[in-house]
Amino acid sequence: MNGKTSLVAAGAAIVRRNKRYVVWFYLLNLAFAHFGASSFSDAAHGILDHSLYADKLLHGFSLGVFLELLVRPEFGTLPSATHPAMLFAVVFLLASLLFMPGVLLGYASDHGLPRDEFFRACGRNVWPFVRLSLFFTVFAGSMAGILFAGLNALVSAADKTSNERLPFFTQLIGSVFILLVLTIIRMWFDVAQTDVVLRDQPAVRKSIVAGFRKTRRKFGRLLGSYLVIAIVAMAVLVTGILLWYAIAPSSSVLGAFIIGQATMLLLLATRFWQRATAVACYAREITEPVADEGRSIPGFAAPPVS
Amino acid sequence: MVVGLRVGVCLLAALAVPVVAQTDGAAGVAIPATTSAINSATSLSQRVVAYDMDAKYNAKTHSLDATETLTYHNLTGQALDTLPFHLYLNGFQPTSTWIREGKRWNSYGPDLGTWDPKSYGAEEIKSFEVVGQGDFTSQLQFIHPDDENKDDHTVVQVHLSKPIPADGYVQFKIKFRDQFPEALARTGWNHDFVLGGQWFPKVGVWWHGAWNCHQFHFDTEFFADFGVYDVKLTVPQYEVVGASGIEVGSVNNPDGTKTVTYHGDDIHDFAWTASPHYLIYNDTFQGSMGPVKLRFLMQSAHWGQAERHARIIKETMEHFDRWYGPYPYKTLTIVDPEPGSAAGGMEYPTFITGDTRWFIPKGLLWPEDALEHEFGHQYWYGMVATNEFEDAWMDEGVNQYTQIKILDSIFGASTSLVNMWGLTAGQVDQARTGYEGVADLDPLAKNGWQYADSNSYGGITYFKTALSLLTLEGVIGEDTMRRAMHTYFMRYRFTHPSKEDFLKTIEDVSGQDLRWYFSQAVYGTQVLDYEVMKITSVPVDWYKENLNEKKGETEYVSNVWVRRKGEFVIPIDVEVKFDNGDRVREHWDGQDRWVRYAYQKKARVESVEVDPDHKIYLDRNNFNNSRIAEPNGQPAGKLTNYWTCISQFFAQFLAWWLV
Repeated sequence: MNGKTSLVAAGAAIVRRNKRYVVWFYLLNLAFAHFGASSFSDAAHGILDHSLYADKLLHGFSLGVFLELLVRPEFGTLPSATHPAMLFAVVFLLASLLFMPGVLLGYASDHGLPRDEFFRACGRNVWPFVRLSLFFTVFAGSMAGILFAGLNALVSAADKTSNERLPFFTQLIGSVFILLVLTIIRMWFDVAQTDVVLRDQPAVRKSIVAGFRKTRRKFGRLLGSYLVIAIVAMAVLVTGILLWYAIAPSSSVLGAFIIGQATMLLLLATRFWQRATAVACYAREITEPVADEGRSIPGFAAPPVS
Repeated sequence: MVVGLRVGVCLLAALAVPVVAQTDGAAGVAIPATTSAINSATSLSQRVVAYDMDAKYNAKTHSLDATETLTYHNLTGQALDTLPFHLYLNGFQPTSTWIREGKRWNSYGPDLGTWDPKSYGAEEIKSFEVVGQGDFTSQLQFIHPDDENKDDHTVVQVHLSKPIPADGYVQFKIKFRDQFPEALARTGWNHDFVLGGQWFPKVGVWWHGAWNCHQFHFDTEFFADFGVYDVKLTVPQYEVVGASGIEVGSVNNPDGTKTVTYHGDDIHDFAWTASPHYLIYNDTFQGSMGPVKLRFLMQSAHWGQAERHARIIKETMEHFDRWYGPYPYKTLTIVDPEPGSAAGGMEYPTFITGDTRWFIPKGLLWPEDALEHEFGHQYWYGMVATNEFEDAWMDEGVNQYTQIKILDSIFGASTSLVNMWGLTAGQVDQARTGYEGVADLDPLAKNGWQYADSNSYGGITYFKTALSLLTLEGVIGEDTMRRAMHTYFMRYRFTHPSKEDFLKTIEDVSGQDLRWYFSQAVYGTQVLDYEVMKITSVPVDWYKENLNEKKGETEYVSNVWVRRKGEFVIPIDVEVKFDNGDRVREHWDGQDRWVRYAYQKKARVESVEVDPDHKIYLDRNNFNNSRIAEPNGQPAGKLTNYWTCISQFFAQFLAWWLV
């Protein structure tokens, strides 16, 4: 690997070389969302399919008609639509947890990872990944709780002034700061996950420590990469919404579907890009000798940059 | 009182030199016949009261000390020895009926569970003198005409030692102290902003042969007699002040305060506001009775919306002037209150509060919605002064109806509430959404504090009323309805009409007996819901083997079933559309529970629609008003697509952070 190549570019190259992972995860994401939306879909079809009134939802989008639909008793309660969606979101989360070790191993590999190796990595690392996620949830959740409590206090103080904009911007800036902190924690645990998979060792706490050290050592570059990719993700989302609004005719279900799904696919790809960046960073760490931890991992080949 | 006599009394009062008082104690007093605050040479109302108040506001403690001289003209036709007074600010105490109802309903409003005692409100009478009869302070009694809550102190009663004879005058000199609440609803302070609403002891209304002076309830509003107001407000010099009526003077005092004097004619309440942060935007509306000075008190963060405020106010005034009648006052003060102060969207005579935020985009017509609505109350409450306690639908609902008419006229029916990013919503959509969930809970004709809950109060008084009047338009015609509203306004302005006055006016103007409609829409809780049940089209030669159906050649027997699902009976039109483009209109009186129409044509039925002209706004379910023979999955597909994307995003978001 060319150590002078930026992490962002290195991560992008890895994702490009392993497109199938993004595609498979996207298909899982779409399939589970489709299952989650089925009760909503059934209820909507039951009320709208035979009604001329539904035309106000097809040509343009009447919020009033949509709200009328939601309050119809035969549509069911809102939880009957949201709960399946949430359930299948959790299923996607579990699927991600299960298959991510294989993805990370594939990203670290300089050749197309055979299917059996992929699944072996997945199976071997299920429990470490579950524990890592629990550690992350506890740590990041506690940190977010403390920070949000502080932010709420600040917003309350701002609310006591006569400056109407102050609470809003306090909330905005504070939220961005909290997101930044959470991104750093996520980055640290991404490196720790990479460490678990590539060192093939079940001691999660050691990987957390290793992840912390490696993240600290490459902090600036890694954080910069994560932020750049996060900005790209936001740009993807905003562009997708704008295209949906500007290009797809309001009555074109297919057009909106294509734009919406392209946006979802690219959005998912940005997260994989971040992970690939973490893998590239990890690889450089172990191939660039440093004073205190200049050892390599047996059997591990640093991913090349094409 | 009949209309002719009422008008005669008004003219007499206007033309005559002020009438001399007729009671012993109030010799020489009268209700002034001033007209300086109105674009009219004569007074417009039967003036019952004259309030002369001198109030000093302490901005640090949000309290106010004042003297009030109230002159009351006994036009009840009988001697009076008892008079009730409202002390509304006492509603903002933890044992009041206002708070108890708020806690009971718990459906919206402030978090009363964490109410800081420093935020309570209070209105204390320090002394109460009846001129010529002495001091009655110790004889004042709190009364509770609406419930058994002895801890409610929002109505106080005085029993006079000498009755006021019919057509006599009495004068009260009252010293009182207000503690404004931190604004929970309509009145109070927030930061250094204050809105002084319902802030002085106000006498009840003699109406239909009895005193009408209700306690302050969580949802209900107010009721008072017309008269003249002269008010001196002393506030710190740094305050920018606005109030009902016209400003007639402002003097700086040596102690760092200033005294601003206001005068109002033919109004029945007086409100004021002060804040050091207001920026003033002035404009003028040229009404049919003369110019109206518009004074906007804007928050600095909203200064960029001042012209937007002015535009909607002037367009609204123009519509009211043209459709319903003239605005006779010389001023209108539009207050942009402190955001989050719970003082937004409120009406007082010649004084309204809007509601906006700094980030509101142009396509979100929230400010326009509030401003139009509150200005509308200058007509339906301000001049046509119905009893807001007992007939809330007559001010809120009638006003909501005219709001829909006017905002739809200005912005378009489907975009008069939201029109941005491809999303649209109209005023009717808002009304239907509010109405549908509570359609059968309460009738319009009900005391405001006796509704099932706040949702029902809002959904019925505002929205069912508006939808009922829109539906009535479909029955009697839009032009007739507009003439009826105009007649109602001109006939009953500056009076206290009852619900029957309103309903009979509509019958008078339309020339129709509409009792069948009013008994259901106004006095009843029947739900209106028509449905296209079923469509069938069967080939006449269905029994033939190898039947080859060809469009335009094969003959079909088609049947269409229409059902009345609700109890509300109203005649309806039904339009049947065939796949060769033919359309057939049927008319059904709706008396039975269902009706079937049969056709034999060389065409299948393509669709059936109840109320094809979309005139029946009260129908609770618009989706079943039509049926198409071949299902069209596109609308639901579009929504499913949205929902799938949202679900995907949510799942990705979870996985982004947790894995």
